[in-house]
Amino acid sequence: MIAAVETIQAELAAIVGDSAMSAGPDACRPFAVDGVEPRLVVYPSSAEQVAALLRCASERDLAVVPVRNGTKLGVGNAPRRYDLALSLKSLNRIWHYEPADLTVVVEPGMKLGDFQHFLARDGLWLPLDPRGGARASLGGILAANAAGPLRGRFGGPRDMVLGMKIATGDGKIIKTGGRVVKNVAGYDMAKLLIGSWGTLGVIVEVCFKLFTRPAARRTFVFHLGGLEAARDLRRQILKSPLGPLRMALVDGNAAEIVEGAGTKFETRNSKIETRSSNFELRGSNFEFWLEAGGSQNVLARFARELEELARGASVQMDKRDDATLVWDRIADFVTLVTENSKEAIVLRVPLPLDSSEEFLRMALDETQIRAFVSQPGSGVVTLVLSGEASGGNWPTSAASSVAKLRDLAEKLGGTMAVEHCPAEWKPLIDVWGRPGNDVEIMRQVKAVWDTKGVLSPGRFVGGI
Amino acid sequence: MLWRPEDRLLYEYDGLSSRRVPDAVAFPRSTEDVTEIVKLARREKVPVIARGAGTGLSGGAVVTEGGIVVSFARMKKILEIDIPNQRARVQPGVVNLDLSLAVSDVGFYFVPDPSSQKACTIGGNVAENSGGPHTLAYGVTTNHVLGLEVVLDDGRVIRTGGKVWDRPGYDLTGFIVGSEGTLGLVTEITVRLTPKPEAVKTLLAIYERVLDATRTVAAITAGGITPAALEMMDGITLRAIEAATHAGYPLDSAAVLLIEVEGLREAVEEEVEAVEGICRRHAAREVRRARSEEERELLWRGRKNAFGALGRISPNFYVQDGVIPRTRLPAMLEYIAAVGEKHGLLIGNIFHAGDGNLHPLLMFDARDSKQTAKVLVAASEIMARCADLGGSITGEHGVGIEKNELMPLIFSPDDLAMMRRLKEVFNPAGFFNPGKVLPTGKMCGELRIQVGGGA
Ligand SMILES: Cc1cc2nc3c(=O)[nH]c(=O)nc-3n(C[C@H](O)[C@H](O)[C@H](O)COP(=O)(O)OP(=O)(O)OC[C@H]3O[C@@H](n4cnc5c(N)ncnc54)[C@H](O)[C@@H]3O)c2cc1C
Repeated sequence: MIAAVETIQAELAAIVGDSAMSAGPDACRPFAVDGVEPRLVVYPSSAEQVAALLRCASERDLAVVPVRNGTKLGVGNAPRRYDLALSLKSLNRIWHYEPADLTVVVEPGMKLGDFQHFLARDGLWLPLDPRGGARASLGGILAANAAGPLRGRFGGPRDMVLGMKIATGDGKIIKTGGRVVKNVAGYDMAKLLIGSWGTLGVIVEVCFKLFTRPAARRTFVFHLGGLEAARDLRRQILKSPLGPLRMALVDGNAAEIVEGAGTKFETRNSKIETRSSNFELRGSNFEFWLEAGGSQNVLARFARELEELARGASVQMDKRDDATLVWDRIADFVTLVTENSKEAIVLRVPLPLDSSEEFLRMALDETQIRAFVSQPGSGVVTLVLSGEASGGNWPTSAASSVAKLRDLAEKLGGTMAVEHCPAEWKPLIDVWGRPGNDVEIMRQVKAVWDTKGVLSPGRFVGGI
Repeated sequence: MLWRPEDRLLYEYDGLSSRRVPDAVAFPRSTEDVTEIVKLARREKVPVIARGAGTGLSGGAVVTEGGIVVSFARMKKILEIDIPNQRARVQPGVVNLDLSLAVSDVGFYFVPDPSSQKACTIGGNVAENSGGPHTLAYGVTTNHVLGLEVVLDDGRVIRTGGKVWDRPGYDLTGFIVGSEGTLGLVTEITVRLTPKPEAVKTLLAIYERVLDATRTVAAITAGGITPAALEMMDGITLRAIEAATHAGYPLDSAAVLLIEVEGLREAVEEEVEAVEGICRRHAAREVRRARSEEERELLWRGRKNAFGALGRISPNFYVQDGVIPRTRLPAMLEYIAAVGEKHGLLIGNIFHAGDGNLHPLLMFDARDSKQTAKVLVAASEIMARCADLGGSITGEHGVGIEKNELMPLIFSPDDLAMMRRLKEVFNPAGFFNPGKVLPTGKMCGELRIQVGGGA
C-alpha cells in the first residue's frame, strides 16, 4: 500500500521538523537517480532521526535512497522504486578526534575536502583520492568503497575503518568495531556496509584510522610511446623498493582532460568532440604519472632512480613540485568526463596487477575507447567509451562493446562495472555483470539488514 | 579419521583450554572431502569444529558439546604463487611461516606474523583475523586476504572475492575473516604477498620506569612515525626471557621497547634517528641498535619465545588480550599493576604496544583454586577497564569461549542480535563451532587455564 504523500509528510515532519523536509518537483529533481525522482527529501540531523525515518519508511513501505552530494548517484541500476531521498547533509560533525591516537569519529555527511582540511592542521590525512574528490562525502565513499590511485600504497576505505554505527532498514542503530586500531571482538559488520551502495543500512557514524601526511611530495611524469613501455616501467617500479604514493597511466586524451586543457571533451551538441574524425588512440602518447612522498632525501632518491629508469628506457621524464591539482583531476576523471558529455559510458575494470596493460591493448583493438586512466599500483582501469566513432547505432553498439570488454576483463581474471552511463541506456547495458555463486548469501544478508527491502531497492548486483 | 579415545584426546585442547573430547577427528585432503564430512555431520546432527594448529588462545578450536573436529593438517598445499600479481592461493592448513619462506627468495613475504607463526595455520589466522608484531604498519590478516572458498552447512561451496579487489557485491570475504569458524569451513584462501623492505633497523630502548616506556610509545605515534613493530616487555617478563634465551636483555631494567623501522634506506635512517631521540627525551637509560642480522635475530628470539620462558617462573599463566587507545597506555599499565597488587598476583606485560594491544600475563598456580578464582576476577577487571577506555576486549586472540560472555561489555543487545541473525544466514542450525563468539547466557566460571599462551 502506497501511502499518500500528505500523510507521510506529517509523520516525517514529526521526526525531523517541517524545515528539514521538502517536497515538490523542484526540490526533488536534484535527487533523481537515473531519471527516477523521489517524492520527498528529508534532512535528518542526528543518527536517531535517521533511524526513526527508516523505521517509518519500513512501516509505510517507502523506498529510501541515502544521498549526500550525488557524486556517485549515477552508479548502479535505476532504483525499482524511490519515495524518499534521505540527505545526510546535516550529519557532518566530528565527534571524537584523537590526533595523538590517530583516530577520529565522524559523521557521514562530511565532505572529504573539509575533512582533509580539518586533519591537515595536525599534519594528518585520510589517504583516499576517490572519484568525486573533495566533494565526495565520507558516507558516499564508504558506500562505494571508492578509492583512487592512492590505494596501491594505502589500501581502500575497507582498510581504514575501525568501527561504525549503522541505522538498519527497520530503524535500529547497530554498532560494529570500535575506536581502537586493533579489534577482533565480534563479526566485522563494517565490511558488509563498505561497498554496499546504500542497500543495507545508513552509516551514521564512522571511526577512521588516520595517517601522517608525507613531509614533502614530488610528481614525476614519463612520456611513453606505447603500452609495452608502460608495462615495463610499472614492473620496474613495483620491483624496486621505492614505494610511490600513487601512480596513474593516462592516454593523450585523458592527459589533456586532467591537465585542464580539456579541449576534447567539450560539450558540443552533447557529443564528445575529437580532434580528428580518424580518432586513433593506439599509437598516441601515454603519460605515466608517479607521486613520491617523504623527506628531501627520499625524494632525491626517487629522482635519481627514476631518471635512471627513464634513461634506460630512452623516454622523457619531467618533474613537478606541485601537481596536486592534476592528481585531484585524475581522481575525479569520471566527473570531468561525464559533466561534459551526456553520452559517455565510463567503465571501471579492476584487474590483476600485471594484466592492466594487456587488457588495454586488447580493449583498444576491439572497441571505441575515447580515453582511459589506469592505476598501475592497484590494477584498476577506468575507460571512457563514446559512440561517435562507432557510426550510428550507438547505444546498441555500446552495449555490445561493454559485453565484449567484460568478457575480456573476466578472461584476464578481472571484473567490470559500469561507472556511468546515460539512464535511458541502462536497460540495454548490464551494470554489474554476472554475480558469483555467493549471491544467494548476499540476498539473505540484505534481508537481515533491511527486512522490508526499502533501501535503494534494485540498484545493486543481482537486483539486490 | 581418528576414533580411538587415546587419539581423540589430543584434540581436546587448544592454546587456552579444554572442554570435551571430540567424538571423531577427520583429516580431509580436499574441498570434496570437507563437503562429504559436512554432509555426514549434518545428517547425523553433530557439530563440526574446524581446527588448524590448535594454537588459538580463546578456545576457538575447543569442543563444547561433542562433534567432529575437522583438522586441516593435511590440507597444506600452496596452490599457486603468482609473483607478478603479488598473490598466492593456499589451502587453510599451510603453516603461516611456510608461505613467507616459500616466497622469500623472490623478495616477498606474507605480512601477518603471529608470534606462533612457526606452528599456526593460515586458516587459523583467517578465522581469528590474527595480528603480529609486524602488523602495526601494514595491517592484520583481513588487510591481506582477498578471496575465500568456503563450505557452508549444507555442503554448498561458495567463492567470495578473488585475486582482484572489488568484485561487485558485498564484501563477504571481509565478513568471514575473523568469524572464528562459526560461519563455515574455509577450504582455500587467496592472499596478498608484499615485497620485503630494502632496509630494516632494530632498536632496543631500556627504561628505569614503565611509565617512561609507555609515554615513549604514545610520543612515537603522536610524532607521526609508524614503526614496522613497536613491542614492549616489562621487567618481570624480561628477566624470565633472559634466563631462558640469553637475548642480552638488561636484567635490572623496568621495561624495554623493541622497535623496528623498515622501508627505503633513506627513510629508515631518518626515522631511526627520530625514534632514538624520542626514546632519549623520555628518559631511556640506553638505546641499543642491532648492528647485524644476528643481533637483530637475537633481540627478536627473546620476544618470540617469551611464553616458553615464562613457563619457568610460574606453574601456570593466563594471557589476556585487550586493546586501548595508545595514549592511555601509561594509565592502563598503572591500573594493571594496581589490580595485581590488590589480588596479590604477579602480572607481567609483554605486548604490541604500538597498537595499544595489551597482553597482561597473570601468573598463578592452578592447583590453588583460590588463586585461580582471583586470576579470573583480575582478568575481568582488566577487560572492563579496556572497555571503559573506549577499547576492546580482544585485539587478536578472538572471543571464542573465553570472552563470549563479556561481549555485552562493548556491544548492546541490538548489536549482538544483529550478529546472531547474520550468523544464521551462513550457519542456521548453529552447527559450525557452537557456543563460540556470541554470548550463550551461561557464565563460564570453570574456564580451565593451561600453561602456555602467547602474543
Ligand atoms: C605462543 C603463541 C603466540 C601467539 N601469538 C599470537 C600473535 O602474535 N598474534 C595473534 O593474533 N595470535 C597469536 N597467537 C594465537 C594463535 O596462534 C592465532 O590465533 C592463530 O591464528 C591460530 O591458528 P591455528 O592454526 O592454531 O588455529 P586453531 O587454534 O586451530 O583455530 C583457531 C580458530 O580457527 C578456526 N579455524 C581453523 N581453521 C579453520 C578453517 N579452515 N576454516 C574455518 N575455521 C577455521 C577454529 O575453529 C578456531 O575457532 C599465539 C598463540 C601462541 C600459542
